[in-house]
Amino acid sequence: MDDRRRVRLPTRLHPARPPLTGLLVGRLLLLPVLVAVVTLVMFALAQRTPFDPVLATLGERALTMDGPTLEAMRDRASDTGAVQQWAAWWGNALQGDLGVSSSQRSPVSTVIAQRLPWTLGLMSAALVLAVLGGVLVGGLAGTRPGSWADRAVGGGLLATQAAPPFWVGLVAVWVFAVWLGWLPTGGATSPGSGSVEALDVLRHAVLPVLVLALSQLPWFGLVVRDATRDALAGVPVRAGWARGIPTARLLRQHAVRPALLPLVTVLGVRVPELITGAVLVETVFSWPGVASATVDSALRLDFPLLAALTVLTTVLVVLGNLAADVAYRVVDPRVGRRDG
Amino acid sequence: MRLPSCYRRVMRMFRNRYSAPLSSLLLVGLVLAGCTDPTTSPSGEREGAAATSSRATEVVVATGGEPDSFNPVLGYARWGDGKIVEGLVRLGVDLEPEPVLAEELPEVADDGLTYTVTLREGVTFHDGQELDAEDVVATYEAALDPENGSPVAADLTALESVEAVDGRTVRFTLAHPQSAFVTTTTLGILPADQVDATSPEDVVGTGPYQVEGYRAGERLVLTASPDYWGEQPEVTRATFLFVDDDAARAARLASGEVDAALLPTQALGRFEDDGAYDVIRRDTADFRALVLPEEGEVTGDPAIRTALQTGLDRQALVDGALAGAGRPAYGPIPPEAPEYSDVVEVEANPRTAEQRLEEAGWVEGADGVRARDGQRAAFTLMYPAGDTLRQNVALEVQAQAAELGIEVEPEGLSWEAIEPRMSSDALVYGSGNPYNADLSTYPLFHSSRAFQGFDNPGGYDSAEMDAALEAGRAAQEDSERVEAYATVQEQLAQDLPWVFLAYVEHDYVIEADTWAGYDVPLVEPHEHGLQGGPWWNLPSWTTAGG
Amino acid sequence: MTAEGWREVAGARSRPWAGTRHAVARGGSGPWWVALGGVVVVVLLLGAGAADQRADFEQAFLPPSAEHPFGTDQAGRDLLARSLAGARVSLLVGLVAALVSSVVGVVVGGLAGSLASRAGGVVDGVLMRVVDAVNALPHLVLGIVIVALLGPSLGSVILSVALTHWTTTARLVRAELLALEGVGFVEAAVGAGAGRWWVLSRHLLAHVMGRVVLATVLMVPHAIMHESALSFLGLGLPDDQASLGTIIEQSRTAVLAGHWWPAVLPGLLLVALSLVVFVLGERLRPVSWGRS
Repeated sequence: MDDRRRVRLPTRLHPARPPLTGLLVGRLLLLPVLVAVVTLVMFALAQRTPFDPVLATLGERALTMDGPTLEAMRDRASDTGAVQQWAAWWGNALQGDLGVSSSQRSPVSTVIAQRLPWTLGLMSAALVLAVLGGVLVGGLAGTRPGSWADRAVGGGLLATQAAPPFWVGLVAVWVFAVWLGWLPTGGATSPGSGSVEALDVLRHAVLPVLVLALSQLPWFGLVVRDATRDALAGVPVRAGWARGIPTARLLRQHAVRPALLPLVTVLGVRVPELITGAVLVETVFSWPGVASATVDSALRLDFPLLAALTVLTTVLVVLGNLAADVAYRVVDPRVGRRDG
Repeated sequence: MRLPSCYRRVMRMFRNRYSAPLSSLLLVGLVLAGCTDPTTSPSGEREGAAATSSRATEVVVATGGEPDSFNPVLGYARWGDGKIVEGLVRLGVDLEPEPVLAEELPEVADDGLTYTVTLREGVTFHDGQELDAEDVVATYEAALDPENGSPVAADLTALESVEAVDGRTVRFTLAHPQSAFVTTTTLGILPADQVDATSPEDVVGTGPYQVEGYRAGERLVLTASPDYWGEQPEVTRATFLFVDDDAARAARLASGEVDAALLPTQALGRFEDDGAYDVIRRDTADFRALVLPEEGEVTGDPAIRTALQTGLDRQALVDGALAGAGRPAYGPIPPEAPEYSDVVEVEANPRTAEQRLEEAGWVEGADGVRARDGQRAAFTLMYPAGDTLRQNVALEVQAQAAELGIEVEPEGLSWEAIEPRMSSDALVYGSGNPYNADLSTYPLFHSSRAFQGFDNPGGYDSAEMDAALEAGRAAQEDSERVEAYATVQEQLAQDLPWVFLAYVEHDYVIEADTWAGYDVPLVEPHEHGLQGGPWWNLPSWTTAGG
Repeated sequence: MTAEGWREVAGARSRPWAGTRHAVARGGSGPWWVALGGVVVVVLLLGAGAADQRADFEQAFLPPSAEHPFGTDQAGRDLLARSLAGARVSLLVGLVAALVSSVVGVVVGGLAGSLASRAGGVVDGVLMRVVDAVNALPHLVLGIVIVALLGPSLGSVILSVALTHWTTTARLVRAELLALEGVGFVEAAVGAGAGRWWVLSRHLLAHVMGRVVLATVLMVPHAIMHESALSFLGLGLPDDQASLGTIIEQSRTAVLAGHWWPAVLPGLLLVALSLVVFVLGERLRPVSWGRS
């Protein structure tokens, strides 16, 4: 079964190939344009900000600072245009100099190098859990349409979807960290211990990963459930029933696979939601990732970091979308034939 | 080196269980989260952790937010109590200056215009350089340089020039006499070639501790400097964690993750009953006050101001909004300071307040709010959003003022949003230090400072006040200075541009019976955190019980 | 099917809640839900719960009781009253933001759809690439940037929601217009002497309005979520206009001190509110589906 599919795919795929490369080239060409526009909009918005960049840079220091000194700094703060700032930023960025982050007080490249792995770790672990959970829950409901399990899953997923991740995170902190005292309330490593130990990190990661996974679960669960149900109602399964093929095997061959395919192929599309969830979860759990740094940098008008992080998210999302498109075309060659 | 072996281990675990795409995804997650060490800063923290064994020689402290800078030129350790850097003098528990890098207190010329300091011999910076007069000159010049935007410049307005007489002698020349000048020579001294350090890892001082590791927004690790000129501290390693959230600090303290912490009063309860912890409550000069703008129709009215001054029950505010952690305040200068004048203290009396309002024509309307000539006795009270303490103060003032027939509408805003509105809306303000009356009054009340940054936020303008402030600043004799500041305090009580409410207490909890020597009767300034608290004198702690 | 098309079907970003449709469709009877949801919304909008309460610090952090069903907060204020007032703020922000974003969506989608066959579709192409670009960013991150740069206020929160949520409506309107164009009655009307814009405004927009209204209602829960997330991150509404997100944000400290009610109960209200509005929207679906 497996082999047959794999052999057949390339031959079917063949006619769709030119659009696929076209798609790849097109998207990858569009990416720099998109990134350029997004950052330009950011710098333009920054010009319109009612906030005083001198105050934002100084932070609390402004409050204890000598008034005349503060006013002198304001006078000096040059008012360059958005386009010049934007061009200067890109000029430096393309030479590898992303500037210095005022909110993190380190070079932007260091901040990202230090924090990105934590975010990627959190997001990928949560994604895996959400997919596994979604398959489990969705499969359970989808194979028993109309049963109480189906209704419970449907209602539960709907309610989960309506629950904001930051609230779920707070409740989890209360239950597991404050009330039961099983897990730490936040951070990624224990203070005092200088090094990063796997077990320690794992303990700190349990709640953030679970909460982020839970926030992504409903979508996966519902997709799997609907796909499973549609597959079971389809002709092949009913024919199989008639031929007396065992139910378990039928499910495996005709329900699980059709249900998994759309799931895997559209994983990439979930990147924005995953990032949104990560921003909230990292904030609740003081997770030292880039998502929580985004909030900090925005609050402190830390443009070098904000610009770099905006570019990073844009690239991640576009690549995620692209991966989804490519995966879908590979899986279902009919897509793209009429695109030309 | 760690990564590949770790990766292999995880790989082996998962290889046979899941199909390839799933397991590789999971791997990315686990490897990145669990096996690599992405936040290793170039600090060598790991070796430090491995080398430690004895418990009492190390301490982990959770302070509030991270200081904006660790460079003394940019405002770090303003009162000379830095553990990393040291000033020529520092201010002791009794608020008196004592020499540190200076051999003895500065020598003052008869005209009060020149101060001469002889440096201590054999002092070296953490990087091995020897301290000399040029370092002192460079540090002070950096603080005066407007390019640096140093908050310390506010302390040094009288300083005209600083010069190195010889390798060990520094001479400060003042533009006008300033009796409190010695208290400003607390500025931490940096090597001449490193005055513009920004990252704490680059801050090199002469202090008993040097920076071992730092992670922005997270922690600062200090270790005893082996070449320190003075006595070696018994606590040789200190980790300061920057934890903004009050309750998170309490939780970490309770779980034993940290040994000492700054805590809000509301969180003290469980530690007070527990013999394993020592609770330290420090009185402060850290006042909270209402700034009443001169321009406001309501806030500028003398009757309204008097009504608030006499009608607000400060003790009730301390008991309620501050949960008992504080004491009533009647002016910017705390009772411990020699310049304090007790004539400004008032007894809370709502009835007198209401009478004053009636006399001035503020009559209660149908909605319970007073009005005069169609003007309602109502004003907006701004506070920085996210500052729970000031929010509570604003809410309590709202509740108490309502009893007087004055409607106060609290509004939480960012500092950026507050600044342009300071001339028209009232504000909950916090500041104060016990050391230097000039600094805790001049910027706030002198007319030349009206709306300069966050100085004189209400736009208070009084010729008598200006004269008294200038006299206090220029006073050479202590008696002369005390007299000038008595005038300042009385003038404030008469004009009431601000209504002072309370000095907030700073509370700390520390693991009991492990260390000794931290419980000193210090009166803390507004700024605290890394420098205040029981760890103010960390170098002189002894490892008592442990 | 185009690449865009399959993503719509897969219920991806443009309709993030789409997968839940079946879950709702099979529970309860329609009019009932609509009535109940309507009542809840109206009651909230008419102003249950007092926003301006006096502080009473002796009553701080009282657990839920008969007198205070939601307990009290750090300043001794009744949390039920505050939560209801907060729910009203959340709902209002959600409604206004959804409305604004629908207007933006109708304008952009209308322009793109009606100009798709003119001038070589340049306008249409550009507008649709803009839609792609906005969709290609995490909405919350974009919202954070907008609010951070414009300053936290009611206006910028609404703007932040509106500017990140209009793309669904724009696509919907464009697709409807293109579908109608194929039917041919526009050509007929133009042929009969009617102006193109007149046809557009009188017939086409009227035709798609039902769907736009539905899309607007279905957008409200998203808008509420978006607003509460911004407020939770400290970028939303200040304490004196507390929305549910703000109340939950302020409860973080309380939770760590063991006071669960300031976080849990307002959060439950937020969940209930989004569910009610969502179910209401789903129930309206067949009603407004019209003839198309």
